[in-house]
Amino acid sequence: MTSHAQYIPGPASGAQMRKEEGENWTLILVRELRHSPEKVWRALTDPVHLREWAPFDADESLGTVGNRVKLTTVGAPRPHVTETIVTRADAPQTLEYKWGSNDMRWELEPVGGGTRLTLWTSINRRFIAMGAAGWHICFDVLDHLLGGEPIGRRVGPESMKFPGFQRLHAEYATLFGVDVPKW
Amino acid sequence: MKIKLTSVYVDDQDKALRFYTEVLGFAKKADFSQGPYRWLTVASTEEPEGTQLQLALNNNPVAKTYQQAMFQQNQPAAMFFTDDVKGDYEQIKARGAEFTMSPTEVTGSTIAMLKDTCGNLIQLTQLARW
Repeated sequence: MTSHAQYIPGPASGAQMRKEEGENWTLILVRELRHSPEKVWRALTDPVHLREWAPFDADESLGTVGNRVKLTTVGAPRPHVTETIVTRADAPQTLEYKWGSNDMRWELEPVGGGTRLTLWTSINRRFIAMGAAGWHICFDVLDHLLGGEPIGRRVGPESMKFPGFQRLHAEYATLFGVDVPKW
Repeated sequence: MKIKLTSVYVDDQDKALRFYTEVLGFAKKADFSQGPYRWLTVASTEEPEGTQLQLALNNNPVAKTYQQAMFQQNQPAAMFFTDDVKGDYEQIKARGAEFTMSPTEVTGSTIAMLKDTCGNLIQLTQLARW
């Protein structure tokens, strides 16, 4: 088992940004995982799996169209719960729902023995690089989890504190040509 | 233990940030987001390391009811202290804020009340000098 301390995220990659009308832009993330679409699908939809890697907890499966699911954002100081309805669930290919007001669309394509996973998500343009860095780390955690070597979920304030996050945030900001917010 | 932060509920964080910075004159201090959650705080430019005010999104029905009831009963959601309530009143009014009470002397202080456009009343307080 890889310890938390040994994990260092790789460089920013596989992300694109699409400017839209208004505050919310589209973040497109592509990642190749060494696991089958069926396995990845389960990790994207099953509450027990989501709890191990995703930035939110779900109280119901996201794998069935019409399911009403409460998503709880991890790491918010007060419980931040949003309810969503699964609008598309074509296992193991396409999954659509909303996280708050953000559209989430997942696509899984078989590649060799693995899966090319693509996420389209609408996100406030100011946080597009922050979101890319957060998802980058989530996907690393997911890949390790599916490989049977979990490194532990890294979301919310905990993920931002470790040095790799700020580096990734800056790299994605450079990639997208946006400013890194200063605090 | 230290008191470093207090919060007000707002119905729109972008609108709140504009009002609290451009109209009231505070400065943005922290702005983090994860999915639909956004941690947003401002601080006084006179005291940048002082107490922060969190502009928390009011997406909780209980908090919404509380906020509306406080507003209807003329209860301020937050109180800011100043050395010149009349000067601030003129400036903030000139920047477009709507006051529900112009500077008024009460026991021990002079106060004014304004709408923050995000569902709250804000009281400005200048303590009397004895």
